[in-house]
Amino acid sequence: MFKKRVKKGAILMENVVFIILNILFLSILILFLLKQGQGAALLEQSYAKQIALLIDSAEPGMTMILDMSKAKDLAEKNGLEFKDIVINTDNIITVRLSESGGYSYSYFKDVDVSLYPDNSNPEDIDSYVIKINEYK
Amino acid sequence: MNNKGGSKIIAMYWFVILMIVAGGIFVMVSSFYNHPYDIREIEGEIMINNIANCLSYEGKLNSELFDEEGFSQEFSENFLENCHLNFEVEESLNEEVQYYFEIDFYKSENLEISTFNIFKGNLNLVAGYEIQEEKEYEREVKGVEDSFFSLDEKGEELYLIKILTIIKKTEKNVK
Repeated sequence: MFKKRVKKGAILMENVVFIILNILFLSILILFLLKQGQGAALLEQSYAKQIALLIDSAEPGMTMILDMSKAKDLAEKNGLEFKDIVINTDNIITVRLSESGGYSYSYFKDVDVSLYPDNSNPEDIDSYVIKINEYK
Repeated sequence: MNNKGGSKIIAMYWFVILMIVAGGIFVMVSSFYNHPYDIREIEGEIMINNIANCLSYEGKLNSELFDEEGFSQEFSENFLENCHLNFEVEESLNEEVQYYFEIDFYKSENLEISTFNIFKGNLNLVAGYEIQEEKEYEREVKGVEDSFFSLDEKGEELYLIKILTIIKKTEKNVK
């Protein structure tokens, strides 16, 4: 009787360990998937291309606001200031979210562009203003 | 005893399967995120819109496109400046120009032979576009074609305008 109980207890314990390991395994897999989509390199590329396309399709006088909250979180984590993450020089947009990284993409529209953080809500600055001034 | 051994083998087998699945997911996800976003087609469409906006307004061709003799050669030569396009970005100065476009004007009575055409950018990209159907070269350049009808500046003659844009930027858009 006692032996049977021990055997049953051992089987239950094995199953619990097995389930815990499975859950652990799946959690690691999900964390890996989530982390892959939020890497600095991927975000830099995505924002640089988005900004370049927005400028190409805009007309002088337009002002656009781009939500860059994900970029802000990552940049601050990497010790960079939000105001320094987007640079526009000679028709090339560079987005930098880490000390070592940075991604550049060019646009073909010959316009003068101003890029700066949106200060309309000083408590929560997480967007960038893309202002198309005039043709060069 | 035998049962216990059997369940251990099954558990091991289960973990081997999990490892294979995890490996597969890892490879798929890595290869997906390692490929850059290819935005050349959208870029080409935007360029066509820019060119079309410069050529025609409210259904009539830009008056600067014509002079006393017909289509203005001067406007054609300075097309990039006139339409506020800049292909000489620093990124491509050391290499070749990454853009090309071609505009063909057809009179409505003869849609076979173009009466005037304008082309700017890197002419070498055309060859890449023409052999795009072969799998080996399909990612080399991306081309977009579009067309629209417009009246001339006086609103008398109808023209079909065909625009082709080709963008290279391979290293930024394809792995």
